[in-house]
Amino acid sequence: MERYQRQLILKGFGLEAQERLAQAKVLVIGAGGLGCPALQYLVAAGVGCVGIADHDVVELSNLQRQVLYTSADVGTLKVENAAKRLQQMNPEVKLLLYPVAVDKENILETISSYDVIFDGTDNFESRYLINDACTMLNKPLVFAAVSGFEGQLAVFNVEDELGIKTNYRDLFPVPPDAGEIPNCAENGILGVIPGIIGTMAAGEIIKLITGIGNPLINKLLHYNLLTQEQYEMNITPSNEYEPPISSAGFMNSDPENLTHSFTEIDAAQMNELRKNPSTIIIDVRERHEFPKLDSGIYQQVPISVFETFASAEIDAKNIVLICQHGIRSVAAAELLHQKYGETKKIYSLKGGISKWRSHFNHTT
Amino acid sequence: MQIELISFGKLSDFIPNQNLEIEGIENTDDLKQYLEKIFPELAAMKYKLALNKNLVQQNSKIKNRDSIALMPPFSGG
Repeated sequence: MERYQRQLILKGFGLEAQERLAQAKVLVIGAGGLGCPALQYLVAAGVGCVGIADHDVVELSNLQRQVLYTSADVGTLKVENAAKRLQQMNPEVKLLLYPVAVDKENILETISSYDVIFDGTDNFESRYLINDACTMLNKPLVFAAVSGFEGQLAVFNVEDELGIKTNYRDLFPVPPDAGEIPNCAENGILGVIPGIIGTMAAGEIIKLITGIGNPLINKLLHYNLLTQEQYEMNITPSNEYEPPISSAGFMNSDPENLTHSFTEIDAAQMNELRKNPSTIIIDVRERHEFPKLDSGIYQQVPISVFETFASAEIDAKNIVLICQHGIRSVAAAELLHQKYGETKKIYSLKGGISKWRSHFNHTT
Repeated sequence: MQIELISFGKLSDFIPNQNLEIEGIENTDDLKQYLEKIFPELAAMKYKLALNKNLVQQNSKIKNRDSIALMPPFSGG
């Protein structure tokens, strides 16, 4: 107990709170900018069991904010590197690793044995999926998200003193259209902002587990690093969204509510399409991004000039859009679908170049 | 009447925080329509209004000196 002595002597904390932490199971989804600091403080504080779910490998561009990883970790799984460091920090904590992307098939089972879920993912698809699964199973969900110099934090599916609880769909009932809201790869992010918001999230999780203080139940906290201002708004139920009540209902629901008018494919399907002479593969990343791909195979048209490019006719019958994470390529695919409808086959590489790196011919 | 307008995230790129003089606008539905007219980018985006720090779930009356915030969703991690 010497390890936890400084928090044990806190007024209102003590041995009882420490015991609650030791009994708790917390699942951190996304071991990135938000997940790293949250994991560090949860493990350091002595949460009994911590699950880490992330399918990505460490990239060099992650290191300015994902502080669990070192340069030597680049190219290897985040969950494994995170577990190695966290276990060194506190060998008393049990770590469970999920090196997979959460999806409709696995999420209910993955979250079912946890007491609190932390959403530190980086895309709306995962966020709505996690929210809907947690809402259906009535799991406390700590939500954190960042943009530029700003962050958002909330606690969902936990009742206030009046028995009222809310979830992300009460705030934003339907996801934004693909490409409407830029992600970190496109918009940029200062490392300290996920550091601050992820650390605040760990604080909320510890408050929920131990029962101290006032967690952000039915509230959305907004934080601005540039002004050091915080804005807190009260969330009330919207009644616009009814969560599914059974796992069968969940499987049949469309958590994204996105009606794709194009096809998302994997790298094998992309390489199969490449053999067809009437296929064009377009890399919509900006010119400064890495890895550089063979421009003889992957024509580069940055998303910033894509609209101009798309105003001219494209001869190919099959158009495959690719980008770093498969988000901008969706926006480009939607744009082309609006123009060509069903007269051309339009594809977006799901997960992007970072997911399928070894399947590409690169030049650097 | 005058309201305080606060915006967050990408919305603050084109809607600076300001005290806004509005005439003939009595509720949040009218205000939304008005804002989407003077800031056309807003119409294409998902966002929520908060009136005096309470999320607006249905059309609500606006009074002089009320504070209105425009909050978009963030996805970054």
